[in-house]
Amino acid sequence: MNKRRWLAHIVFRALVHRRGRTLLLLAVLTLASSLATALGLVSASMRARVAEETRKYGANLVVVPESARVEVGSGGLHFGAIGEPAYLSQEQFLTALAKSGVKGDYSFHLEGALTLKGVEIPCEGVDFAQVRRLSPWWQVDGDWPREGEVLGGGDLTPRHHVHPGDLFEFGGGKGVVRTRVSGVVTTGGDEDDTLFIDLKELQEQMGRPGQVSEVRLLADPGNGSLKDQAALLQRHLSGAVVKELRQVGRTSEDLLGKVQLLMLLVTAVVLVTAGSSVAGTMSTTVLERGKEIGLMKAMGGSRWDLLKIFSAEALLLGVGAGVGGFLLGVVIAKFVAHSVFAADAALRLEFLPVAVGVSMLLALAGSVGPLLSVFRLDPVQSLRGE
Amino acid sequence: MAAIIETSGLTRSYGDICALKPLDLCVPEGEWLTVMGHSGSGKSTLLNLLGGLDRPTGGSIQVRGTDLASLSEDGLARFRRDCVGIIFQQHHLIPYLTALENVMMSQYFHSVPDEAEARHALERVGLGHRLKNRPGELSGGEQQRVCIARAIINSPRLLLGDEPTGNLDHKSTTMVMELLRELRDEDRFSIVMVTHNQEVAAWGDRTIHMDDGCLVREERIKAC
Amino acid sequence: MTALKVIPQLLCWAVLVPVMSRSLTGMATAVTAAAGFVVGVAGENLLLAYVGGELPFRPLRGVCGVIFLLLWGASVWALYRRGSKGSDAEAVSSPGPLAAGLAASATGVLAGALTLCRLAPLDGGAVRLVPYLSLACAGAVLALAATFPARYLPERLAPRGIPLLALVVSALMVMACSVQRLDIFSPLSMEVMKFIHDFVHQFFESMLIPDHPFFRSDVWGYIGLLFSDKVGLWGGLALWYLPVLFIALALRLERLPSVAHIRQGAARRKLLASFIHERRLRLVAPLFALVLLTGAAYQSRFPATEYWDPKPVEVTATPAGQIVIPKKGEMDLEDGKLHKFSYSQGGRQARFFVMLTPAGQLVTTLDACAICQPEGYGQAGNAVICYYCKTLIPLETVGKPGGCNPVPVPCSVKGDAVVIDAMTLLNTWESTVQVTAHGKGMGK
Repeated sequence: MNKRRWLAHIVFRALVHRRGRTLLLLAVLTLASSLATALGLVSASMRARVAEETRKYGANLVVVPESARVEVGSGGLHFGAIGEPAYLSQEQFLTALAKSGVKGDYSFHLEGALTLKGVEIPCEGVDFAQVRRLSPWWQVDGDWPREGEVLGGGDLTPRHHVHPGDLFEFGGGKGVVRTRVSGVVTTGGDEDDTLFIDLKELQEQMGRPGQVSEVRLLADPGNGSLKDQAALLQRHLSGAVVKELRQVGRTSEDLLGKVQLLMLLVTAVVLVTAGSSVAGTMSTTVLERGKEIGLMKAMGGSRWDLLKIFSAEALLLGVGAGVGGFLLGVVIAKFVAHSVFAADAALRLEFLPVAVGVSMLLALAGSVGPLLSVFRLDPVQSLRGE
Repeated sequence: MAAIIETSGLTRSYGDICALKPLDLCVPEGEWLTVMGHSGSGKSTLLNLLGGLDRPTGGSIQVRGTDLASLSEDGLARFRRDCVGIIFQQHHLIPYLTALENVMMSQYFHSVPDEAEARHALERVGLGHRLKNRPGELSGGEQQRVCIARAIINSPRLLLGDEPTGNLDHKSTTMVMELLRELRDEDRFSIVMVTHNQEVAAWGDRTIHMDDGCLVREERIKAC
Repeated sequence: MTALKVIPQLLCWAVLVPVMSRSLTGMATAVTAAAGFVVGVAGENLLLAYVGGELPFRPLRGVCGVIFLLLWGASVWALYRRGSKGSDAEAVSSPGPLAAGLAASATGVLAGALTLCRLAPLDGGAVRLVPYLSLACAGAVLALAATFPARYLPERLAPRGIPLLALVVSALMVMACSVQRLDIFSPLSMEVMKFIHDFVHQFFESMLIPDHPFFRSDVWGYIGLLFSDKVGLWGGLALWYLPVLFIALALRLERLPSVAHIRQGAARRKLLASFIHERRLRLVAPLFALVLLTGAAYQSRFPATEYWDPKPVEVTATPAGQIVIPKKGEMDLEDGKLHKFSYSQGGRQARFFVMLTPAGQLVTTLDACAICQPEGYGQAGNAVICYYCKTLIPLETVGKPGGCNPVPVPCSVKGDAVVIDAMTLLNTWESTVQVTAHGKGMGK
């Protein structure tokens, strides 16, 4: 029999002999590593979840020209605007975005008005591809517009008899726009009484090429706090104001940080507790096995031989508990993510080495003291006592 | 004949208590020496010193020409595994290993475990049918025979016995002593055995009596 | 600063010499090695001074390649011979003084030459006198001083024969791979990739299977894996490690000595145990060689950059689709150095650089060439180097198409600015990278 296999054999025998204690140690280590795994998994899936949620809420920053007009009233009671409308150059914004290093998706908006059969209709020039990316909640009855088509707001249908597929002639700009309405959008917000038209077209009609009245920006919350990003962008944008559009991004990001800190603390506490309990159990075991250790020394085992045997025991326990802990951790993470965050925690195999590492380290750290006493144990004294 | 053990002025004291007064002892190769005395007379201390389990506080102790006092901790472990076999009164078998595995454990520390050889050794002590039994399932005499098999498996030149028959009844004692004599006649190792049983002492070649850490009397049973 | 550059190589040298002197003939070996080192340093510097160009490097790289092949041969031989371990193994373990001297001096010359190359200025010419002399002295002193620690190296750890060869070769590989122009690991992985690529091509051709129509695109995805950069790296790594692994395997598989004739069980076991222990100790040299080879591969993969390689500056295009870079803006485009930019639009991205050629013309080129993976360029003196194939391209030819030259992009100088058409740039980048990255199938 090969020496290494023999070592494994006797270590296994010793562990089986002390079944109760082995199970206890395994349970503690499994629990610790499963908690670490579960917390890691939940935290990772939460990060993904928050990013997704933030995306769902659409843009989180908005850039408007500084002297923007003040809207009076809203919705059905729209009295118009006070003051001269101000505009922002597309190019200025893009340059500022590149310089500031803020990353994110954006959409340009230009507000204006066109007339339909003599009635003024508020309209907004947008790039449909951008809007579609940033506003996933828009429900369009019909199709999204292709080139030369427009999108009507839901309230326009009863008011102006706008239906998908209709052809209309809009006036009020430089010329007459003859176009087809491809679909009707319902959002439940201000968008419902707006006509959406291609940005370039509206710019041309209004005689303001390259200018927009608002830019919505979905900055990636993963790149630092929204506030900082807004400030960063503001620094490069003179004549415009960068505002945080919604508080959602910020709060969820704050919450995420706090929850992660909490998880880290809990994990640390659990690990310390588990470590000390391992240390306690291990040292009782070593005390109990004093006679055995003395005997092994008397048989000619050097201190290193004994150290090898006992650390092999700890490592074997650690590996076993690590694998078990990983599996248990995945189950816990699934449960927690499902019941608390209503999300699914993805199984990540990269946490397996983490789980095994945690429990092995814990087992070894817990056995340092007992191992030292094994190292120092005097064979004569341990063999004498009866 | 060359001496296997040679001590001169060997002492061992624990704090103020002097367990072993200066002792000069010479054991020739192949001799069976019995050490007798009451408990506390220093005979176990002497045995521990000879086995390299303990270090002397004074004097010199040479086993097969090696000065034990000069060896490091690991050197002593090497000495124990290569040169000495020890039989204990309480047997001290590892409870969770079978008889065979207990013998193989000694092989493991010495070099590599070899199952066939360990089985052969157990057959030599008459336990060929008890290989797979744990110590708990063996009688005292059988346990002591496992202990002997374990002690001789690495072919030591010196066998140390610490009251090997102390826990055995008369019948088992005779059996164990007969076994020891047989093995010694085959392998020609030396034996130093501690006992307070006159009958057991009669099996040896020479007996020394100790009292209060001193050698008080010596009697030769057989000519070497 | 200069001293720092050669520290890894000198460290290798300082490890190599004690092992060699312990394994070969002691003090004499160390002295020979020291002499060899000095000769190597001096010879290489003479070559650099009087011949110049690529010539001082190419033969050296060839020699490195040859000794690596030699290691391959030796490893295969060791694996083949492992069964019949007999008296000739003893002969290998004690080479004659002549052979030992030859080995030591050859190693010394190579080590010296390789180490000097690390100091060679990138724009040609010899190493200046002070670093040159101090390097020679340092090498010689290290080699002579090595006899002292060598005495403390346990006899059992000193490798003999083929394991020693593995150790020497891998140490020399570390020295070679830290000089980009001598690096043999990246050419190796490139060859592997080329081989696989050509092989698949030939295979399909010989089987008369037309490339595209019969396979679904996901099948192509899997075949495409064979052409990725990773394949070259992993294949190269396999070839890189295999010889030493073979040697380790040969040692590990060495038969246990016959012990049947020993009557006493304990003595028999003791002999076996000591043989196993010894065998394990002999594995130390190949394992250390593996560590060294890893270091070499790492150096080759992530070379210590000493090239001018600025971080690309992000630029944007005007609404008209033009990228305008002022000549004297945040950076001076006409300072004779390359300036990297990156431009992205939607999901498309391109990297390019602008520089003033010695002829006084501002040129714009992609940061990629038409044949290599787009790993980019760095500037070294009067040349730019392609990070992928390590070819030096003189500044005079930058802006001209062909070979590993960076692919030129048409640009115009309007007043104080360089103007590039964004669409042209993106299209040029994509057509270039699609051909070179071998991402999807075979671009036939």
